[in-house]
Amino acid sequence: MNIFEVVGPVMVGPSSSHTAGAVKIGYISGRLLGEPLVRAEINLHGSFLATGDGHGTKKALVAGLLGMQTDDIRIPQALEIAEERGIVVSFGQAILREAHPNTAQLILHGRSGQRLEIIGQSLGGSRINIAQLDGIETNFSGESPTLVVYNEDRPGHVSEVTTMLSNQNINIASMRLYRSSRGGEAVMVVECDQEVPESGIDWLRGFDGIRKVTYLGMTGE
Amino acid sequence: MYHSIADIIRQSEEKSCPFWQIVLQADMEERGVSYETSFATMRHMYQAMKDADAGYDPTIHSASGMAGGAGEKLHVYNAKGANLCGGLVGQVMEKAIKMGESNACMHRIVAAPTAGSCGVIPAVFLVVEERLSLPEEKMVEAMFVSAGIGAVIAENASLAGASGGCQAEIGSASAMAAGGLAYLQGGSAEQIADAAAFALKNMLGLACDPVGGLVEVPCIKRNVAGAVNALTSAQLAMAGITSAIPVDEVIDAMRRIGNEMPSAIKETSLGGLATSPTAVRLTEK
Repeated sequence: MNIFEVVGPVMVGPSSSHTAGAVKIGYISGRLLGEPLVRAEINLHGSFLATGDGHGTKKALVAGLLGMQTDDIRIPQALEIAEERGIVVSFGQAILREAHPNTAQLILHGRSGQRLEIIGQSLGGSRINIAQLDGIETNFSGESPTLVVYNEDRPGHVSEVTTMLSNQNINIASMRLYRSSRGGEAVMVVECDQEVPESGIDWLRGFDGIRKVTYLGMTGE
Repeated sequence: MYHSIADIIRQSEEKSCPFWQIVLQADMEERGVSYETSFATMRHMYQAMKDADAGYDPTIHSASGMAGGAGEKLHVYNAKGANLCGGLVGQVMEKAIKMGESNACMHRIVAAPTAGSCGVIPAVFLVVEERLSLPEEKMVEAMFVSAGIGAVIAENASLAGASGGCQAEIGSASAMAAGGLAYLQGGSAEQIADAAAFALKNMLGLACDPVGGLVEVPCIKRNVAGAVNALTSAQLAMAGITSAIPVDEVIDAMRRIGNEMPSAIKETSLGGLATSPTAVRLTEK
């Protein structure tokens, strides 16, 4: 138990789940897009939808997308800041089956045309879970350095990733593989004990069949 | 590492070091950080509480319109000398309600242990720091005492209204503040434990039934109850009164009560105050 999850975080209120958790979902989503955001469609589900206005959940999600952390005092002005930066944001209701009560679906469009669809859940006490990336089920929190590799579902890609980590002397805390279908799109989520250097990430990008590599470091942008 | 308040007290005796240091040492081990880093992080939390208190805006109102202005009313009332509870209790009440309002109005606060209960610990600590002219180091040490109590509650019961009701939020905050206050008054590890036990016992069974699902009604004013309860609980312990039920068993009782509570009063807003006729009317607006 990290005592700074008991006393802390320093955060903009009013709710650790509906505000701070929402900022984290937005922040991780923005980082996973990996390029400047131009348009975001945000759909809310359950308690996020029902009580989100009073908790500033929409502002919090957008603040996170803009790169703000949970203690950023600009969170209440996030919608105006997004507008100033020319980012188009729209909100709707998520149509999701059996989803966690605090769920947000974000469909993000980047400057070069990258598109990312992400489903994030706020689990309480500002802890979150990324439950889906581009329609593929996942399960990670972004609490440790996380490498996300999109690849074709073919033999060999796991060993490319583990070779790189081994060469960089990085210990794997957890590694999970997900795919849409056999031989289809696959996502590898690797949570690490140490930071992954840019050179290792670039090395992976060079492989045939690895479509995209994104990385969530702990040191910010 | 510790898994109960009794663990902390035992280790404190074995190593001949104070309660707060056991909590700090466990943090060093848990996160792989130095003594200085752990202490500095806690100092940062305490400073952030002070900043949040100083940043109260008497003109703010929440998006729902239900929160705002109460801290200023209490300030004016206290300034007139009208508060029958006296200066110290009056100030604690004022700081607690102000912090709760700041949280509801999207200001920056420190979740301790949650955002909804963020007013309890700073209200008690900031007022007592000034009254007893305590050095900041001592305040940070007391924060470790509070954090240790909270960590034990998190492990053996819960800090979330959704799983344990409000006893897990305001109740835990009150127990954390009471233990910290006993330490600030020179209390022993046993007195810290008793203070926390008294505070938590008074909060057992408290429902989490927020109007409209918002952290406003009754949460903001309950910060006052939690803070004042911490003050009186610490005084009982410092007078040498002991808790008939040891604090770890009180925490376990809190867990069992939380499990037995219907979900309607565990942050779903499907029961209690949240479904009162006035709440329904306020929510429709």
